[in-house]
Amino acid sequence: MITITHEDFDPGIYIDAARDRQVGGIVTFTGIVRDDGITAIELEAYREAALQELEAIGDEARSRYAIQSVDIIHRIGTLSVGDHIVLIVVGASHRGDAFRACEYIIDRIKETVPIWKKEHSEEGSRWVPGEHS
Amino acid sequence: MKITVRAFARFREVVGDVTALDLPEGSGLPALLADLASRSDESRDLMFDEQGTIREHIIFMVNRKRVARSTLDTIILAEGDEVAIYPPVAGG
Repeated sequence: MITITHEDFDPGIYIDAARDRQVGGIVTFTGIVRDDGITAIELEAYREAALQELEAIGDEARSRYAIQSVDIIHRIGTLSVGDHIVLIVVGASHRGDAFRACEYIIDRIKETVPIWKKEHSEEGSRWVPGEHS
Repeated sequence: MKITVRAFARFREVVGDVTALDLPEGSGLPALLADLASRSDESRDLMFDEQGTIREHIIFMVNRKRVARSTLDTIILAEGDEVAIYPPVAGG
């Protein structure tokens, strides 16, 4: 499943769902809100384009690595320290492909998916600068 | 011709999330940006540098396809196009 949602998610449910007779390893990445002295973080997406981009990244991962399944869940809305931001679950026959595909997916998300973060703290608010232009 | 502009993050705060523009036939992205920039000093500063050049970091999508910097000046918009403008992404 590839989705953008306001709702929280349970990584365990997606890990279990990735089980398959051909799957020998499941690698996950869970992004969470870090305490950088913030009170909240606001995530905004160009939803239709972001979803399209996440689907494309999933397809790229499937074509580059021998993997059985890809799930990507990205949250939007107002989040607090410790909240889940993103979940990536990759199932593969062998661990190497699962690890590499999972890293590839999170790196690509940070490069191209139109989602932004605004941090709120006692001092005020600021948009988190993107790493790629 | 009618063009829909969708702005995100800092750009949304300055120009609004959705703007309907009526541009002359044959207009491209520089004309669209100039229209948005003419609305406030803040908008102009966000879109153009002191020399009047489109700021490097702005990303454009036309109908949800990213526009390469090299084609920024040559793309011709068409009736009903959806143009998105936004800063470098920071998801994940």
